[in-house]
Amino acid sequence: MIIRSKWCGITTTLETFFTLLSAGFIQRAFIIGTIIAVLSSILSVFVVLKRVSLIGDGLAHTAFGGLALGYYLSSLGYFSIALGNYLDVFPIWVAAVVVVLGSIGITKAIRSAKVAGDAAVALFLQLGLAFGIVLLSLSRGFGINLESLLFGSILLVTSNQIILASAILAITLGLIFVFFKELVYTTFDEVQARAAGVETSFFDYLISVLAGIVVIASIPIVGVLLVSALLVLPAVTSVQVSRSFKQTMILSPVFGIISVIIGLPMSIILDTASGATIVLTGLGIFLAVLGAKRLTKSTVKLAP
Amino acid sequence: MQTANSSSIVDLEKVGVQYEGGVQALENISLQVYQRDIVGIIGPNGAGKSTLLSVVLGLVKPTTGEARLFGKPISSDGLRRVGYVPQKAQPRDINFPSTVYETVLMGRVPKAGLFHRLGKQDHQKVKEVLEQLELFDLKDRRIGLLSGGQSQRVFLAKALVSDPELLLLDEPTSGVDAHSRKEFYDVLGRLNQESGVTLILSSHDIGIVTTLAKRVVCINRTLFFCGDTSEFTSSSILAKTYDYPIEVVRHHDHA
Repeated sequence: MIIRSKWCGITTTLETFFTLLSAGFIQRAFIIGTIIAVLSSILSVFVVLKRVSLIGDGLAHTAFGGLALGYYLSSLGYFSIALGNYLDVFPIWVAAVVVVLGSIGITKAIRSAKVAGDAAVALFLQLGLAFGIVLLSLSRGFGINLESLLFGSILLVTSNQIILASAILAITLGLIFVFFKELVYTTFDEVQARAAGVETSFFDYLISVLAGIVVIASIPIVGVLLVSALLVLPAVTSVQVSRSFKQTMILSPVFGIISVIIGLPMSIILDTASGATIVLTGLGIFLAVLGAKRLTKSTVKLAP
Repeated sequence: MQTANSSSIVDLEKVGVQYEGGVQALENISLQVYQRDIVGIIGPNGAGKSTLLSVVLGLVKPTTGEARLFGKPISSDGLRRVGYVPQKAQPRDINFPSTVYETVLMGRVPKAGLFHRLGKQDHQKVKEVLEQLELFDLKDRRIGLLSGGQSQRVFLAKALVSDPELLLLDEPTSGVDAHSRKEFYDVLGRLNQESGVTLILSSHDIGIVTTLAKRVVCINRTLFFCGDTSEFTSSSILAKTYDYPIEVVRHHDHA
């Protein structure tokens, strides 16, 4: 109701906007948005530089299949009784298991070199999507909000989801911190790292499992369709302006957080889908950075 | 010959490599490399030089025969004592955002070991090697912006910071100008003489290999020649390696 106040003119909109900022659900949206932004943008550096940018897409659709499987299972009489109170979180846990298995599968397929990397990702993407659609049609009428699954619903985030996302953030950052030097070397050049005695296969799997977990955590925010944008845009943007790996690692979350801080209020003011608006903001930042880079370069050239 | 010599650093015993799809890259290669050796591997393009180095680096498993490193089957423990300068001394992704310093520091990663953060000692070593290879002024430059010769030295530095006992170089000077090439080989010569580093380098640039190498190994899928450089240069083996498909002509045992 309040959100749709854009018809009342821009001043009212801003007023309502500031009133909204004090609302609990908006605050929760900002908190989870920031957590997800940090999480995905740090991981995006490894994903993008390893040249497996589409892995997020593959995993998101695998997650879609997993969620559908979860809903299907909970629609079965036996499960719905056995699960009792856990019924509403059951699909997400099923999806988590499916995604972790999927990320291992994708990495295995990429490493085997029998299937081209992009084809391996595409296969998992299509498999997950097709399975998901079939299962959802089987469990029709179970009250699944397909739209929020596909596009995310950041304004409906609960405190429990924030706690879960924080836990995932802590674990992911911890793992990246502990294995940072090996992860960087493996990302830089897997063959050289392996020849130097680094157990690169473990770190390949680690990156994609973490990507899978981030995807699961991000689906409530941006939805299945746009999850992978969060795993690509921040790194692609920061690589443009960074001189070092360290800078890339610092700037990527900065760009990620800015996308949320600008995109989320914009989506409220314009009454547009939050996830898509955040992604478009990220894309806008990328283009702005690219443009700024061009400009500074051409001025350097003009200087004598 | 039958048992692995404990003092040999690299010991290949009748190694054969067949790639998937049936391409036989190497066949029946037996070769020992000893401490302080400088071995030049010569052969035409596609002769299996890179495959041979890959076998030593554990990147390619022999389909037949056995490969040993420091007297043991090849494992990550052994590989931590080896430095490797790849054929394309370039980042896999030319836009990879890594400075010269960060890249060279990666060479310390295996040495530091899992769960250990890189410390003062590691940074000290990196600075030392950067100075030694005259790279210190470039330390903050992004690696994608270096010239061929500079990039070459960066990847050599990355290999050297781990204090390797054995250094493998795959076509180390392809795409590097003559002046940088000479300097590069001078550095390698000093490493061998002053620090006792064993060197194996592959090249199709016969002239430069024979000035640096103490021993020459000539391969074209199979081993054609293995002996002292002076023997090699005075023999007609070269023409044969490149032109005639002959069986093993000569195979010296080095005690």
